[in-house]
Amino acid sequence: MKQVLETDGQVCPFPLVEAKEAMTGLEAGDELVINFDCTQATEAIPQWAAENGYPVTHFDRVTDASWTITVQKS
Amino acid sequence: MIITGLVVGLVLGFVFQRGRFCVTGAFRDLTLTGNTRWFSALIVLIAVHSIGLFLLNTFGVITLEAEPFPWLAAIVGGLIFGASMVFAGGCATGTYYRAGEGLVGSWFALIFYALFSAVMKLGPAAGFTDGIRAITLDNGSLQASTGLSPWVFVVIISAIAIWLTVHHARKLKTPMATLPPRKTGLAHLFTEKRWNPFATAVVIGIIATIAWPLSAATGRNSGLGITTPSANLTGYLATGDAELIDWGVMLVIGILVGSFIAAKASGEFRLRVPDQATIIKSIIGGIGMGVGAAIAGGCTVGNAMVSTAQFEYQGWVSMVFMIAGAGIAAKATIKPKQSQAAAPVAESRTV
Repeated sequence: MKQVLETDGQVCPFPLVEAKEAMTGLEAGDELVINFDCTQATEAIPQWAAENGYPVTHFDRVTDASWTITVQKS
Repeated sequence: MIITGLVVGLVLGFVFQRGRFCVTGAFRDLTLTGNTRWFSALIVLIAVHSIGLFLLNTFGVITLEAEPFPWLAAIVGGLIFGASMVFAGGCATGTYYRAGEGLVGSWFALIFYALFSAVMKLGPAAGFTDGIRAITLDNGSLQASTGLSPWVFVVIISAIAIWLTVHHARKLKTPMATLPPRKTGLAHLFTEKRWNPFATAVVIGIIATIAWPLSAATGRNSGLGITTPSANLTGYLATGDAELIDWGVMLVIGILVGSFIAAKASGEFRLRVPDQATIIKSIIGGIGMGVGAAIAGGCTVGNAMVSTAQFEYQGWVSMVFMIAGAGIAAKATIKPKQSQAAAPVAESRTV
């Protein structure tokens, strides 16, 4: 299952705070798509995923200063 | 040659933006999530800067002056600044470089920060600021009160910095995901690649060290600073008094332009207008940062990077209280929105 979390317009740390919250509601194997436009989250979200051992299945730019990342719960 | 300030600022703004260097995040994460990664990077920065400054001092290139310790101002100003930077969503430099990335909320924070630093330093509240900063203790640094060589403390903080770097390098369970590269060579390195926070910290520590003798050569015997230059820039714009334009004013203008160049070159510049609540928070945060930094005698740069690197109590004590202020504000204001947590489920989505 994939859940989409829209955080555009939210500045750090809110995209990550929301992502953590959304992650608690997911089952292992589920994916969370996080769309964000806060530059610092390009560091904070992959870092959080790596520290928790969550695989990142997709990470790319959407437009200028806009990104999407898909993190799988493990 | 105050133009060197502009050059240092351009480089620094570029590095801050590309490195996503965020002291607010570093302090906030300590209490909000217990994550010490960015704070550890800051310790590395302080260690590099202390090595640089005391080398320059030992060889007579610069003269570090012994200052008393304005303890009450460091505590009160640190608390106000720490809480306010969480509201503003970035410390003083963070606000400058986010303004350069096109975040309109940071424009509000920056304008009110610069305005209120001028109110507190040049304007009607300057007497209050001077008064609270006159409440001091003698011996403002570790080397002054212990009588030891500052190199003892340089060695201690360097050892801590190395230990923290190793600790964090080992902590990752899986490699960090990176954006698929579209550029090669230097363009990839400077305008695309993720910069490791610890590498960024070393680079900023080196820039900060180079900044001091360049600034001193123009008659301004201090290193990186954001608050007094922001106050002076505001004062100049309001009065036309060209005496206020010094190396530091050039520095902050450079940071703003440098971060814009970095963001633009990396496809990370876009005008982003926040909602009403965020704008109000940014304004309140900006006012508090101006007031807090003026009282504390510096922001996260002047106190938490430069004063700390000289082992001054002003830097370390105000940093501790910035962390406390940031913690209080983070606990009070940073919570996930319930509605967001129950976001609609989509089976597939392509972007």
